[in-house]
Amino acid sequence: MPTAGAKEAALVQRLAAGDRAAFEQVYHRHNTSLVRVATGVVRNRATAEEVAQETWVAVLKSISGFEGRSSLASWIFSILINKARSRAKREGRIVSFDGAGEDDNLAAAFDGRGRWKNMPELWETLTPERILAGRSVMAHVNAAIEALPPGQRSVIILRAQQGLDADDVCAILGISEGNMRVLLHRARLAVRTALDGLM
Amino acid sequence: MLSCQDVATRASALIDGELGTWQTLQMRLHLAMCKGCHRFIGQMQTTRDLTESLPAADAQDEDNEDRISAILSQLYEEKPDSG
Repeated sequence: MPTAGAKEAALVQRLAAGDRAAFEQVYHRHNTSLVRVATGVVRNRATAEEVAQETWVAVLKSISGFEGRSSLASWIFSILINKARSRAKREGRIVSFDGAGEDDNLAAAFDGRGRWKNMPELWETLTPERILAGRSVMAHVNAAIEALPPGQRSVIILRAQQGLDADDVCAILGISEGNMRVLLHRARLAVRTALDGLM
Repeated sequence: MLSCQDVATRASALIDGELGTWQTLQMRLHLAMCKGCHRFIGQMQTTRDLTESLPAADAQDEDNEDRISAILSQLYEEKPDSG
């Protein structure tokens, strides 16, 4: 059995050789997440799709220079982040991912002694298949992620959906590991609050 | 003794297995006695599992086939200039 690294090296070789099937495989694996991450930065779905497309062109143009020092996914997302940030900068916005100035809004749930003001509910029957307020649970989860600020949104997509290593996520977004954990926790709290409001 | 707020703040670290032995023990002790925190940690685990089960892959629909073709044609148009 080839190792994951050997499989990826073979995939990179096929991409460099212009193999369309290899490109389709990589595209289908990452494009949805690329657009989701970019939307958080450029704040517009149509622009995010353009940024993702520019990213793919850049990936294919420079794939022969990919040295495998990070995973292929990390490399692709780094290119995307650079392009999305440049686009935001052209519109006069500097986007940072460190979540400075954001709050998790959790303090309001506790009294002065740090005890729950209201007992959390038991979510016994919350499954991906369940329908809440006319939409599947997964549609609500997706909507809650779409509403997150760029740092939290990027971290939860890269970690939870793309399964990238913590080190890779920190390098892509230019944040510390402690910062990344705080952002992931805040992102989950926000999704949890959105779901709790539907129960 | 940890407060409920302390437990909620460390919820992700607990479910991701990032706490040390002593901190994990303190959390478990609190959870054994506190129904609210026990439920909250359950909610956070469900939230983590749901966010991890969102489909990452694109549907292989016609729009995507068109986008893939657009990317490849853009690449071939640009190649002669890029050297």
